[in-house]
Amino acid sequence: MDLATFQKRLFTEGEKLGFTDLELYYEKQESFSVQIFKGEIDGYESSTVNGVSVRGLYDGQMGYAYTEKLDGESVSFLLKSIQENAPLIEEEPEELFTGEGATYQETDFYSPKLDEVTAEEKIAFLKEVEKKIYAYDPRVFQTDYAAIQDQSIEKGLFNNKGLTLNDRNNFLYAIFSVVVKEGEEIKSDFYFKITKDFASLDAEKIAKEAVEKSLSHLGEEAYPNQTYPVILKNTAAAALVATFASSFSAEAVQKGQSRLKGKLDEKIASAQVSLLDNPFLPEGTHSGNFDSEGVPTSELNLVKNGELKSYLHNLKTAKKDGVSSTGHGYKSSYKETIGVSASNLYVVPAEKAYEALYGNLQEGIIITDLAGLHSGADAISGDFSLAANGFYVKNGKIIGPTTLMTVAGNFFEVLQDVEEVGADLEFSPMSGSGYIGSPSLKLKSLAVTFD
Amino acid sequence: MLNKALIENVLSAALTTGGDFSEVFVENRFTNNMHYQGGKLEKSLAGRDFGVGIRIFKGLQSVYAYTNDYSEEGLLKAAKTAAEALQGVKSEKEIILPLDKQSIETAHPIQLMPSGVEKNRKLAVLRNASDIVTNYDPAISQAIVRLNDEEQNVLIANSEGTFVEDKRVRSRMAIIAVASDGTDMQTGVYGPGAYQGFEFIEGLDLNHYAKEAARIAVTMLHADPAPSGKFPVIIDNEFGGVIFHEACGHGLEAEAVAKNNSVFAGKIGEKVASDLVTYIDDGTIPNEWGSINIDDEGEKARKNTLIENGILKGYMIDKFNGRRMEADSTGSGRRESYKFAPTSRMTNTYIAQGKSTPEEIIANTEHGIYAKYMGGGSVNPATGDYNFAVNEAYIVKDGKIDKPIRGATLVGNGAKTIQKVDMVGNNLAHGAGMCGASSGSIPVNVGQPMLRVSEITVGGREAN
Repeated sequence: MDLATFQKRLFTEGEKLGFTDLELYYEKQESFSVQIFKGEIDGYESSTVNGVSVRGLYDGQMGYAYTEKLDGESVSFLLKSIQENAPLIEEEPEELFTGEGATYQETDFYSPKLDEVTAEEKIAFLKEVEKKIYAYDPRVFQTDYAAIQDQSIEKGLFNNKGLTLNDRNNFLYAIFSVVVKEGEEIKSDFYFKITKDFASLDAEKIAKEAVEKSLSHLGEEAYPNQTYPVILKNTAAAALVATFASSFSAEAVQKGQSRLKGKLDEKIASAQVSLLDNPFLPEGTHSGNFDSEGVPTSELNLVKNGELKSYLHNLKTAKKDGVSSTGHGYKSSYKETIGVSASNLYVVPAEKAYEALYGNLQEGIIITDLAGLHSGADAISGDFSLAANGFYVKNGKIIGPTTLMTVAGNFFEVLQDVEEVGADLEFSPMSGSGYIGSPSLKLKSLAVTFD
Repeated sequence: MLNKALIENVLSAALTTGGDFSEVFVENRFTNNMHYQGGKLEKSLAGRDFGVGIRIFKGLQSVYAYTNDYSEEGLLKAAKTAAEALQGVKSEKEIILPLDKQSIETAHPIQLMPSGVEKNRKLAVLRNASDIVTNYDPAISQAIVRLNDEEQNVLIANSEGTFVEDKRVRSRMAIIAVASDGTDMQTGVYGPGAYQGFEFIEGLDLNHYAKEAARIAVTMLHADPAPSGKFPVIIDNEFGGVIFHEACGHGLEAEAVAKNNSVFAGKIGEKVASDLVTYIDDGTIPNEWGSINIDDEGEKARKNTLIENGILKGYMIDKFNGRRMEADSTGSGRRESYKFAPTSRMTNTYIAQGKSTPEEIIANTEHGIYAKYMGGGSVNPATGDYNFAVNEAYIVKDGKIDKPIRGATLVGNGAKTIQKVDMVGNNLAHGAGMCGASSGSIPVNVGQPMLRVSEITVGGREAN
């Protein structure tokens, strides 16, 4: 059955059963992806999926349930599940946002032009880039991954108090991972871009960047294990910020799971560091006019010149702290309950080019990527010990790639240790806790171990 | 879940552009997810996942479409859109499925279906686990206990006449202990799971699991930073097997092997590991977390020997990658849900029993690291480079376990590490985990007896 019929039936039957408040959250996602391997289509996928979740106040307690099938059986399943779950919850019940007095931006983040790019055009583009990758250097062994994926997402929020909200967004991403081989040494790196403008992808440039990045890791050498001044390249810095972004959530703070507890208006980072959450970034994958609770979104300075200015709040955490929601009540999908998450969050770029950041280093390490972020980092304490790739720098020049490294430190110390911020803002392909970016950062020191 | 005639129509529609194989995967899954924290139930969420995946092969091309528009038009449209990708010669084939579904006799009997168990009974177990953690030590600042259970009903049909249904029932509990001394916080985690119903959760020895989680957190609170450098590393049994799951298991999956993206590609019959290493993937072990009756392509689960006494014997193969490799499926085609095309994945993978006792292994180590509980990690399958967090580690000095250390990460290369295994213990055990890869996040067991690797790079905060 269609969404409108489903909603009507759910609200009517729910109210009959004694539900006072009911909210339906709807998401529809269409995606297409294609992957090329040695000139052939190696993967091709298209999908249309929708799902709804329901929040309902029953006997004064809030219950949740979701379904991907919009039929009569699901209406009963959802209401019955909420009736079962709600009485067990010992939390203060959440309140539904009525939308009264709220004003919403009406930005459309959907690009109809992106929707018009055909499968054939995408396939032809992939083939062209792949060809250029093989032609670029004889040490190219193969592409490990050459793919384009696009996604469009529609969201809706409806409650039985009269709120009706709709939002949509779409974007495309391209990834080219290249494996290079010289003698016995095998290295790989990749090019990654998220965009709404297919025409902006330049095959020549992408092939060059993907291959050169991979080649740059050949000829690895180990250096003495010690602490070094470190340049965290933009995407590596973004991945690190993404890993610890949950520390800024008021939910984590209130539960005693953040080291930022009690640090409002205090200096938590060097004066070079400002962190901005911008829900209206045109290319942002997490852009939107309202959050998953229906609260209007707005720009938020989390950290300004090193000072912690705000936490990220949803309705519940805001109520607890006696403040207003900052519009960060998010669920990662209709399958999840409301949590707190950043939208498009980034370290505000400064002026220096990446090259200038290491240009005055006597000796140091550039870290180009970090691995093991989901396991080698403790989001609460900030401690991390991660695998890393990168370069050794001497007298302001890149000498060459290092062997696989581990770098260890603490995120909150890293924030204090930022000496300079670059101009080269990039976003991390890592998803989950928002769309997170950073320019390259120069750090006073980190402990580095070479394999 | 879908009627036979409709499935036949979809399978036929998928082959109208010259495809040579079509498959339909229908999933109807009910999940429950309870989250107990700070002495109260914070979240109790029920859900229903439903959708259909359609896959077509034409030679070495594969196309996948999925949708939860389950109407006849919706499904036929998805099948035709997918077929258009192949742009081959138009052809008409009518797929007729066997009259009756193939019946499966389950190797994993379920006693208490999770959906039939009162939520209060589940809550009681959560509360008990939380209390054990909280009462363990004054340093414990928080207990988080989660319970997830699910009933996944699948129907798999393909143009070769496979037409089969299965029900998978899984239950898992995660116990997380947070210890704090005011400024510093450390966590300890234990996450037992099984292909079982609520009988598994109710039968868990919480005095063991909950106390272990609490003990790890408290121990690590008082641990020194890990040293860095190259050390012999003793990895304990059970979840310790995660290191070979990442370092070798992924490289033995057909998805990496078929495209030559694995250091193990083309090496069948060659010595790839220490003589002490026998590595097995076995989806048939009754009621284990990673077990299956049939894989997500409808193939029967089996026990696959991957490495025997250091010699490479075989890979884990799914239907599609099997085409490129000219090899048969090994019952290894798995996926998270209808939202993913299946590929070769692990089930319950483990290093087989050796001869040394754990005491001998420790007594024979003059100066090294003892990794008692491993955390997670990842690997780049093309190079074999891996990284791992160790949740609980100790220094080994003069053949004895010495002081605890924290923040240790192990990095290295899988193909090299597996050659450096120089002692294998006799205490094989399995641990539950979730494994993420291109076909999504799936339940797998990792396992091993205690073993020693002669040298691994350890990265800690104390630079040597």
